[in-house]
Amino acid sequence: MKKPPVKSINTVAKRLVGRSELALQRKNIRESLVSVAGLIGRPVKYQGGNEIGRLVDVVVRHGEDSYPPVSGLIVKVGQSKSFIDGARIAKLTQNEIQLSSAKVDLTEFIRREGESLLDADVLDHQIVDVNGLRVVRSSDLYLAPLDREIRVVGVDISFKAFIRRIFPGALGRGPIPEHVIDWSNVASLAHGSGVVRSTQSRAALGQLRPADLADLIEDLAGRERNALIEMLDPDLAADALEEMEDDELQGLLRGLSAQRSAELISRMEPDEGAEVLRDLDDDHRESIFMEMDVSVSRQLRKLVEFDETLAGGIMTSHMLITHEADTVASALALLVEHRSRDISDGVVVVDAKGKLLDHIQIIELIAAKPSATLSSLMGPPYPTSVNLNTRLDEVIDEFANNRGSSIIVVDEKNKPVGRILADDLVDALASTSDTQGFAQGSGAL
Amino acid sequence: MASKPSLSPKKIRIAAFLAVMGPGLIAGLSDNDPAGITTYSVLGAEYGYQLLWVLVASMLALIVLHDLAARIGVVTRQGMIGLIRQKYGARSGTLSAGALILANVGTMTAEFAGIAAAGQLFGFSKYITVPVAAIAVSFLVLRNTFSTVEKVFFIISAGFIAYIIAGFMAGPDWGAAARGVLIPTIPFTQEAIFIATATIGTTLAPWGLAFIQSYAVDKRLTKDDLKLLRVDVWTGSLLTGVIGFFVVVTCAATLNKQGIQINDAADAARALEPLAGSMAKELFAIGLIGAALLAASILPLSTAYSVSDLTGRPAALDDSPKEAPLFYLTFGLITGISAVLILIPGAPLITILVVTQILNAILLLPLLIYMYGIAKDERLMGEFVATRTMKTIYLIIIAVVGTAISCMLWFTIN
Repeated sequence: MKKPPVKSINTVAKRLVGRSELALQRKNIRESLVSVAGLIGRPVKYQGGNEIGRLVDVVVRHGEDSYPPVSGLIVKVGQSKSFIDGARIAKLTQNEIQLSSAKVDLTEFIRREGESLLDADVLDHQIVDVNGLRVVRSSDLYLAPLDREIRVVGVDISFKAFIRRIFPGALGRGPIPEHVIDWSNVASLAHGSGVVRSTQSRAALGQLRPADLADLIEDLAGRERNALIEMLDPDLAADALEEMEDDELQGLLRGLSAQRSAELISRMEPDEGAEVLRDLDDDHRESIFMEMDVSVSRQLRKLVEFDETLAGGIMTSHMLITHEADTVASALALLVEHRSRDISDGVVVVDAKGKLLDHIQIIELIAAKPSATLSSLMGPPYPTSVNLNTRLDEVIDEFANNRGSSIIVVDEKNKPVGRILADDLVDALASTSDTQGFAQGSGAL
Repeated sequence: MASKPSLSPKKIRIAAFLAVMGPGLIAGLSDNDPAGITTYSVLGAEYGYQLLWVLVASMLALIVLHDLAARIGVVTRQGMIGLIRQKYGARSGTLSAGALILANVGTMTAEFAGIAAAGQLFGFSKYITVPVAAIAVSFLVLRNTFSTVEKVFFIISAGFIAYIIAGFMAGPDWGAAARGVLIPTIPFTQEAIFIATATIGTTLAPWGLAFIQSYAVDKRLTKDDLKLLRVDVWTGSLLTGVIGFFVVVTCAATLNKQGIQINDAADAARALEPLAGSMAKELFAIGLIGAALLAASILPLSTAYSVSDLTGRPAALDDSPKEAPLFYLTFGLITGISAVLILIPGAPLITILVVTQILNAILLLPLLIYMYGIAKDERLMGEFVATRTMKTIYLIIIAVVGTAISCMLWFTIN
């Protein structure tokens, strides 16, 4: 688990989400906060003051707004629960809710896409504290008028607010403003059917390191977990997935749609993606392949088939292939184009038949004349290459002997099909030693 | 992992089970704490083999409920108290947690009483054994990693084998034992009903249910592990039943036959000496120490999980004190208060133990009802939501436990 935030949550949040103004910084809003936990059970009255019933829940609509507006109330009238449209609310105070008319249509509540119930779905449920980097529970939620609507503006995660709620009467309802966090700074994972789309909390999540994000994902279950994944930028989500434990990841993918799984796996490094797919059962893997771009799935299918203790199973198929007749300038342009991938250390050179000739380091390319052909740069030391079926221990020997940062994997026709980088080797070794430690550990029991 | 050439498929299956194993085994066995052993001893000493079926029924309920609690933990990744807070609100959560904490302090005191009694059988003063046990338990749980703690728990559990050996040494009447298991009869007296309900009560402990769920969460088991986890829960509960069976059988074959009355497990050990050979006393005492140590490690841990859970900041064994101060504070307080209670001369121990038993009984019923509510909540349990058959089984258990608890409370108050 992560350490609690040192700085006040609002200062950190401001830095994360930029300069945009937070609702809670406005004095008039801070002074008009209404506690949702305290509001539940309070009377809902007609314009004249006649009581309709008691409040059961508050329905909010999630949209592009940072602060979701109240779209309706669920009120217990007699023995049944009715829905009252949010537009009817004239006045909402901590003690009661007054409607703007003397008569309203009471309808049955039906969950709509993109709506959630504050008491049933959010209060006491898990939310992600983006700044503390951990999963916490919301102790209370706060409503306030903002932009002509009543909106959720704040959330309290303190234990103090939680304990306050067990007291009866007005004592249990008053907000403690210093503990209230601006709603736009938390990633609420509770939702009816749609996903909470707070642009600012998404931006805040985007600032996290993939490994921290992976920890957060592992702390969550089911609905909340999927909601978090849906909320993330796919590239970031894919990075986080790479950091997750194998079995956690398997479980996660089972909960996601094949389409979303395909999208995420396509964005992972090919060798990592293949490793994930390899562990899935055949039907599930096939359903994910069906949702992928043909070119991506073709590449991954090939990788999946390799045994993960052989060179083919640990290599990444990402590499930049150039022909010996290409110029230095075009090779450099290719490198620039793919700079986001971790493969920008050089290019692989092949002959007209596609057979491996050399690997040219980026430093050699920079030092050479842009108009020179790649063939003029070729020469010893030639790169180390191994066959697709080379065993892991032999690959390690090759690495140890050559002290290079990578090895090129070739097929039976000496065509380059992938590379093994030092980190792929570390991954492969880590998963082998896991197994060994595991076996030893269980032997001791 | 499956394609590593160094492991045969069979070895992989065993290794996978060993990796999942723990929650069911440890939570199950820890229900056989000194209070449990005392109850089983009295059951055997007073009624011979006749009430063995009560033990079997409790064991079946234990299997069902531990299976459910562990599954809830794996599927929701939340502890019991946190889920109660989420589903039933702040008051239910706080009340459950409060009752659980009080009951756990009392139960922890009972564990230390067991350690003190067992130590005295070997001639050690309680002023030595109790502080040593308190420090040893805290050191074990707080200073080690999850996997080390788990292994030590398994080793401590081996102490229970002592009861099985003692059972065989006592030379029981196996035919009578089989009849006691298979034919449910009960003398309709206050004492008999009391001891029968106490047997159910000590087997199905609220802290055990809360513990198995938190433990499954902390162990980060996934839905894939559920099948193996079920094997673990069955193994743990069956072993719990088997050990209880041997305690009853030992006492039935010796104390009951000779008409000796006992008040607790240490009495039983002393009384066994002339009847089942000199080693029987030592075996019973060793079993008692193991039982007390295991439960004394788990009670403060279970409480610490629950408190962290209530506050909404789930903690794990592998967190440092700096990361989870509340978790460590709770652990320390529960252990400290209970150790002091047992050492203060003239502390009202009997009252504490009786109140604890009542509190545990009262707490069990709402806890089971909450668990039932969670089990049938599709939004929480997803594809693992309880089937109609399972719901019926849960309701039957709740009804039986409810009746038993009402009877016990009635007798305790009168």
